[in-house]
Amino acid sequence: MSQISRRQAIAILGALGFGATAAACAGPGGTTAPGGAAGPAAPATGAVTGKVSFAHWRGEDKAVFDELIKRFAALHDGVDVAQDISTSNDYNAQGLQKVRGAAIGDAFATFRGAQFKNFTEAGIYTELKDSKAVGNYQPGLLSAGKSGDSQLGLPYQVVFPMPMANADLFDKAGAEIAPKDWDGFLAMCEKLAASGVIPISWPGGDVGNGGQLFNCMIANNAPVDDMCTQIEQGKLKCTDDWFIKMLNQYKELIPYLQPNATGTAVEPAQNLFSQGKAAMLATGSYHLAAVRGLGAKFPIELVFPNTSDGSGKYEGAYNATFILGVNSASKNQAAAAAWIDFLSEPENAGYYANQTAQHVTVDKVEYTNPDLKRLSPWLEKKTALAARFQFQNLDVRNAVEASATAVISGTSPEQAAEAAQKIVDERL
Amino acid sequence: MSTHTKMAAERKAPDGGTETDAAKRRRRSPTRVNPALYLFPLPAVAIIAFFLVMPTLQAFQYAITDWNGFSAAFNYVGLDNFVRAFTKDSLFTNALTNNLKFVLMVVIAQTAFSLVLALLLTKNSRGSILLRALFFFPTILSSVSVAFIWKFIYDPNFGLANAVLGGVGLEALQGSYLGNNAQALYWVAVTQVWFHAGQMMVVYIAGLQAIPRELYEAAEMDGAGKWQQFKSITWPFVAPATSIVVAYTTVQSFKAFDLILGIAGNPPKQSLDILSTRIYSTFANSEFGYAAAQSIIFMAMIALVTWLQRRLLRLTPKGE
Repeated sequence: MSQISRRQAIAILGALGFGATAAACAGPGGTTAPGGAAGPAAPATGAVTGKVSFAHWRGEDKAVFDELIKRFAALHDGVDVAQDISTSNDYNAQGLQKVRGAAIGDAFATFRGAQFKNFTEAGIYTELKDSKAVGNYQPGLLSAGKSGDSQLGLPYQVVFPMPMANADLFDKAGAEIAPKDWDGFLAMCEKLAASGVIPISWPGGDVGNGGQLFNCMIANNAPVDDMCTQIEQGKLKCTDDWFIKMLNQYKELIPYLQPNATGTAVEPAQNLFSQGKAAMLATGSYHLAAVRGLGAKFPIELVFPNTSDGSGKYEGAYNATFILGVNSASKNQAAAAAWIDFLSEPENAGYYANQTAQHVTVDKVEYTNPDLKRLSPWLEKKTALAARFQFQNLDVRNAVEASATAVISGTSPEQAAEAAQKIVDERL
Repeated sequence: MSTHTKMAAERKAPDGGTETDAAKRRRRSPTRVNPALYLFPLPAVAIIAFFLVMPTLQAFQYAITDWNGFSAAFNYVGLDNFVRAFTKDSLFTNALTNNLKFVLMVVIAQTAFSLVLALLLTKNSRGSILLRALFFFPTILSSVSVAFIWKFIYDPNFGLANAVLGGVGLEALQGSYLGNNAQALYWVAVTQVWFHAGQMMVVYIAGLQAIPRELYEAAEMDGAGKWQQFKSITWPFVAPATSIVVAYTTVQSFKAFDLILGIAGNPPKQSLDILSTRIYSTFANSEFGYAAAQSIIFMAMIALVTWLQRRLLRLTPKGE
């Protein structure tokens, strides 16, 4: 074997380094081609077989999906669905990177708002407009999965991001459970406080859950329905009168929240409610299963903090989320699409809903879960689509929501609004 | 061999003798080795190139683009991202300020606390060994576990801190801890010190146990008090350990990402946002180019602080 000198060895290693450098200087970008001028294509058709990766963030629903997967596999020989589950925060932050290229996520879910937009721009969705599944949904609840004329995703869950109420404590206090206006809401809180309970348990220490109250507070205050979009675009400002009015209403809530609410994480807030120490939990119906799991035995209702003077446009707030899609880069689109179709059938959607205590957007679902049955009338009410998910920029969303938390912790509404607007202005 | 050739082949060696041809070849000629030997470092070189060098170089490239992390289209924007970080992004400057405050607080508190612990627990008595184990215990936990434990300690409604204060009649001192924007960072710093002080204590104990007992005996015979003994004997010996402790603590404090996210949630509120969490938020916000620029600033910041600390803390034993 011929021998090489140290210089030659260094030259070889240098060449390797140079190669790595050159590789590094290849342009960013990925392998997923955007939809292009023709727009997204429908999922490929073919035999429903092989492995399907289903990427989502709802670890708490794993057992329910496992059962649905068994039923799906029983209908199709040789098909297998594997769940690739991340935590919601990780999925929010890294979902796109994980799903693009379809190493996982032949079928996948996205959050409404910024994540849906990013997935759309990355060309990850296929067109589901003509799919068998679409016909099973309530048409009015599909808008969160639309992009232009395309139906890229199917919003699967309906959640009500409104305070949940312990109906027994309301009865005991003689408090009105459906206040017509802001004064009525405050009077209701006063009665609850007088009865010896904390009126509202609010997880102000948890940005995501604490922020849900914002959907209710802004719904009847804002001059337009796309208020958060307009804040982000600079057309509306946090320093506007209507926004300051809303922050003043937050300030009026302080006596009715648990002590040190801005330092309370979501689990302790749930515990206050589940143990009957607090009459309301200001997160949303998506916590029904969690509070039942913590031992709550009382009847649960929803309360809308109606900030209007009685002439408000909305009676509540809802969100259509867990948007199902089929990956355009998937090698097994036929089976992935069949899985989404399967989930969209009323019987299967009903099983999912009743087992997870989540309403669904699928039509003709029979709710047998007592909590879902009780809250089903909210599906017919005039509710505002949760506004906080209009924000495309998470820094802006967090800054705007943080203004409410700042007010609860003692900052003046004007100062809090200015601090939020400064960050919005920087992101314009 | 001719006389001239022989003379040319031999030269005066340093010790007065002459070098052989073989010795000369060893010194002057390129080293000839079996090329197979160069295959051994190749896996390491490849791993370093692909997982360290390449991403670092790519980060430099992305930092001058407006790439969103997934689109095929992007523009080169020069140094705009760097300028933006310092002039048009109060969230970044806030995170930078928080991070520097956090590092300063933790370095001072952890260094002092671990030194005191080490001084108190140097002796190998049973009680000392038990206490050392107790103080070292947090180190073996994962940072996420530590974060969750302390999140519940600090909880204002069900937390241990307020319960203890209430139990001893100090209700007036009960508070919101992490909910109080002015204090939140201090409380996370307390957690960080609790988490790592035991580890640093071990470093100090190793330094202390290397000090010859005779020095203390001689000092006592000369009438030196405890403070004088510490100043003249103990400190000069443990000073090098302090360099290690400060360097380690600095890096740990800059990297407190998992502790902050665990204790404050994602995203953390502004009063708890540090550089690493800010960079993570920027990536999550689909601003890949800008996040890469922030990462480079972060890297430069750590390099600068480490260099400054090494310049300022040249703590070596006397006589070295």
